[in-house]
Amino acid sequence: MATLVFWVVAIILVGSALWVVSARRIVHSALGLFVVFAMASGIFLLLNAEFIAIVQILIYAGAVTILILFALMLTRVSNPNQDTNPNSKGWLAALVMSALVAAGVVFASTFARSSTSLLGGRTPYGAGACPLPPNNVIYIGQLLYSPTCYSYVLPFEIASLVLLVAIVGAIVIGRED
Amino acid sequence: MDLIHPTLTHFLVLGAVLFGIGLYGALAKRNAIAILMGIEIMLNAVNITLVAFSFYNTVKPYSTFLTGQIFAIFIITVAAAEAAVALAMIISIYRKRSTVDVGEINLMKW
Amino acid sequence: MAFYQYSWTILFAPLLSFVVIIFGTRMWDLASRSRMAAGNGAIHVYDDAHALDHNTHGDDHADPGSDDDDDPQVPRLTTGARLSGYVAVVIMLLACIYSWLLLLDSTGALRISGYTLPYSGIDIFNYSWASASYLAPYEIRFHVDHLALAMMVVVTSVSLLVYFYSQGYMENSAGYARFFSYLSLFTFSMLVIVFAANFLVIFIGWELVGLSSYLLIGYWINKRAKPDEDRPQPATAAMQAFIVNRIGDVGFIIGIMILFWKTGTYNFAALSGTGPQSVQAHFAGNSALLTVAMILIFCGAIGKSAQVPLQIWLPNAMEGPTPVSALIHAATMVAAGVYMVARTFPLFVASGTTAFEVVAWIGAITALYAALVALTQTDFKRVLAYSTISQLGYMFVGLGVAGFYNPQGLGPGPGMFHLFTHAFFKALLFLGAGSVIHNLHHATHKEVQDMRKMGGLAAFMPITALTFLVATMTISGFPFFAGFYSKDTIIGLCLQSGSIALYVITLGTAGLTAFYMFRAYIVAFGGKGGKAFGLWGSREIYRGEGTPPESPLTMTIPLVLLAIASIFAGYWFGLFNYLSPTAHNISLNDLVSDPFTWLGVVVAAVGFACAWWLYGFVGLARVHDVVENNALLRFLHRLTNRKFYLDDLYYWLTKYIFLGIAHIAAAFDFSIIDGIVNGVAFAVTGLGKGLRHTETGKVQSYMYGIFGGIAALAIVVFVLMAFAQGGVKLW
Repeated sequence: MATLVFWVVAIILVGSALWVVSARRIVHSALGLFVVFAMASGIFLLLNAEFIAIVQILIYAGAVTILILFALMLTRVSNPNQDTNPNSKGWLAALVMSALVAAGVVFASTFARSSTSLLGGRTPYGAGACPLPPNNVIYIGQLLYSPTCYSYVLPFEIASLVLLVAIVGAIVIGRED
Repeated sequence: MDLIHPTLTHFLVLGAVLFGIGLYGALAKRNAIAILMGIEIMLNAVNITLVAFSFYNTVKPYSTFLTGQIFAIFIITVAAAEAAVALAMIISIYRKRSTVDVGEINLMKW
Repeated sequence: MAFYQYSWTILFAPLLSFVVIIFGTRMWDLASRSRMAAGNGAIHVYDDAHALDHNTHGDDHADPGSDDDDDPQVPRLTTGARLSGYVAVVIMLLACIYSWLLLLDSTGALRISGYTLPYSGIDIFNYSWASASYLAPYEIRFHVDHLALAMMVVVTSVSLLVYFYSQGYMENSAGYARFFSYLSLFTFSMLVIVFAANFLVIFIGWELVGLSSYLLIGYWINKRAKPDEDRPQPATAAMQAFIVNRIGDVGFIIGIMILFWKTGTYNFAALSGTGPQSVQAHFAGNSALLTVAMILIFCGAIGKSAQVPLQIWLPNAMEGPTPVSALIHAATMVAAGVYMVARTFPLFVASGTTAFEVVAWIGAITALYAALVALTQTDFKRVLAYSTISQLGYMFVGLGVAGFYNPQGLGPGPGMFHLFTHAFFKALLFLGAGSVIHNLHHATHKEVQDMRKMGGLAAFMPITALTFLVATMTISGFPFFAGFYSKDTIIGLCLQSGSIALYVITLGTAGLTAFYMFRAYIVAFGGKGGKAFGLWGSREIYRGEGTPPESPLTMTIPLVLLAIASIFAGYWFGLFNYLSPTAHNISLNDLVSDPFTWLGVVVAAVGFACAWWLYGFVGLARVHDVVENNALLRFLHRLTNRKFYLDDLYYWLTKYIFLGIAHIAAAFDFSIIDGIVNGVAFAVTGLGKGLRHTETGKVQSYMYGIFGGIAALAIVVFVLMAFAQGGVKLW
């Protein structure tokens, strides 16, 4: 069952990513992007990362897509029927290059001797210093905020600072004066 | 058949392919927002790869402490912030130049 | 001991006077002169003269246009300038008195300190300039011993008299203070050579005297050349002097280097003797190399003392003021070469007889050559210049013969003795010539140095004539004057050594010397029809214009003092033993009773008689006619007058060979070296022009660069890794 879900989600994911980069009109690209985000959320679910999946939907599929659509509206080119998502002159070189990069990574993860064991199974969560939480969300909450167990609370605080800077920066840059 | 059942390698290959597609989008497009979309695809590919590493037992802390997933959370956070700032810049440029074609924005050339 | 220890003050005294003049009195002089010119509203000091009374000599010099040189003259010296002269004279007087006291004390004639200076001398000043553990220490070390004391007395005495004389000679020159500063610098440099304890210091002094000589020869900056009298510009002559000296210095340096390479030290005391760093220890089986080194060191002396083949600079150096010629090019600087050979005498001894023979033969050839050339020169100072070259040749003959014959005996005695006496009488000759030139300048407002325009001057300037006569008699070897002792000692030594050729050359040169010196004397001061059968002059036979006066006291006093010295300096019979502990002294009895001594006197008398007859009875004009009409005589006259065409040969060599090579080198530098440099710059800018196109300003092209690089790296790494680990792994 998981196999089937995986293949379906994966194929739709790759297909919609291809549509994003090749659609004639950019609004179609934006819609394709929405599908990409949604399918990525599905992949996360397959990987038992429920919290990440929900966050992906919330933020990416929700906020970022809307943001992009708004930006598209605000930067509209006059004639909506023409090609609003043109390719640059060196698209063939880009194709070659990205194919090479992808091939390199694929090679590293499959054929290279240093790649991981292909039959790697999965083990359940190991126990940290704290008692094992019942589900993923609580565990992530513990990992992000816990003052006593092993946690990533400092990067969390820094991330909030990053968001603050981004808010202020976006407002300042986007001002009309 | 090992090729059917998803293993770590499948997810890694998926991530690599998505990364390549996103890279092509970032390099080959003229519309600035299309480039941004390509970058978002690349970030998602990386997220997938990281969470896959966290799921499969490759490195012990990754599995016991869900490092990959935490990393992915932070990537999502930063990507959202970056998208906001980038779009603000694009809108600002559009106001000045009435274009979002990156081929036209080359004042820093020689 | 302290009495000798403080002799470094003699060394630094002229340096002090140089500094005081340059930074003190000369500044005062310059300030006063500009104030004077500004105050009178006139820019040319010439204009001032008309307002002055005619009691000073100055007004004679205030006539522009008729003077040959364009160097500024002043009618009256400022206080600052006069003080410069006084400073120099007073300091040198003190130094001279101290050095005479030192000499008298060390010879035992006058006991002042209770200390006996050892033959090896004492070090009086030492400054360690650089010392690395693996190198010999480079020290500025000064050393005083008997040889240094003898030379020091000569240097300071002649310097003092020349300074005193210059106060009169240079009285109208605007650069009076500058002249005294240069003279002080020269004396300091010469004393550095005299006191030097190692090759480094002597070389420093060597170059410093070269510099001072350059500055002093070219003292009259604006003076023009006189091609009809075959006289170059003083600036050119100065450059020639410096460059020819440098040519000699190349050999000198190589010689020093060879010695240092083998022994590891520069110090004279260490090199002589039998210590661990001496030449005897290091060159024990290799005397050929030591001979080569010493001959190379002698090259420096050839350059400095104007021996053949590097003699051309000294006659041209006569373009400088006459006190300069007296001090530098007669008494002291050119004697530096002789002093240096005397100083390194033990090294020459250790090398065997070949180096000494080279020294003696070069000296002899030079003596003969210069005497022959001097026979027909018409310029008064040039006769004296060639005479100097010839007498220097005698000194080297003396040094050389004392070396290869009886090397454990006389040491540098004979050569140094002739140096000692020569300094006094040659300085006297030059100062007398300067007196003549100065007075003729007064009379004719032109610089007259040609003997054909003189004649009968003894009537006008009797003191000058008399002192000049004394000097001429000395140099000719007139019995019981100073030159008699020194010259005949050398000639006698040549005979004793068994080298008949050297004996004949030196004897013949003595005769020639007498001839040309008396020729100069008679043509200038006497002449046909004068009193005392042409030996004394009279007003009628003067061939020039005007009425030359006698010189002022500042010029005649040194002449008289030097005349006394010329007669009595030869009586220091203890010099040989003083300089070298194993030598036996001259004894008057031996000298007088030896028939060959009187042979030398007879030869000189023959020369004197010929000159007297030719120029006192026959007369200059008639001699000239006879020579011109006779083909053989004319040929000989041309040959010697043109200095055996050696000067022309050198000029040709310089112009075509040296300058040709220089032009080729310059072309090489211009096209190839500069081409490389310019080419590199051109390549860099071209590269820049090409590379700047990578800055497109478009982000996407930069991303191409980034990811393209990543792709390339990734591929390289994976491929290399895969094949390094033995193939790919498929599942």
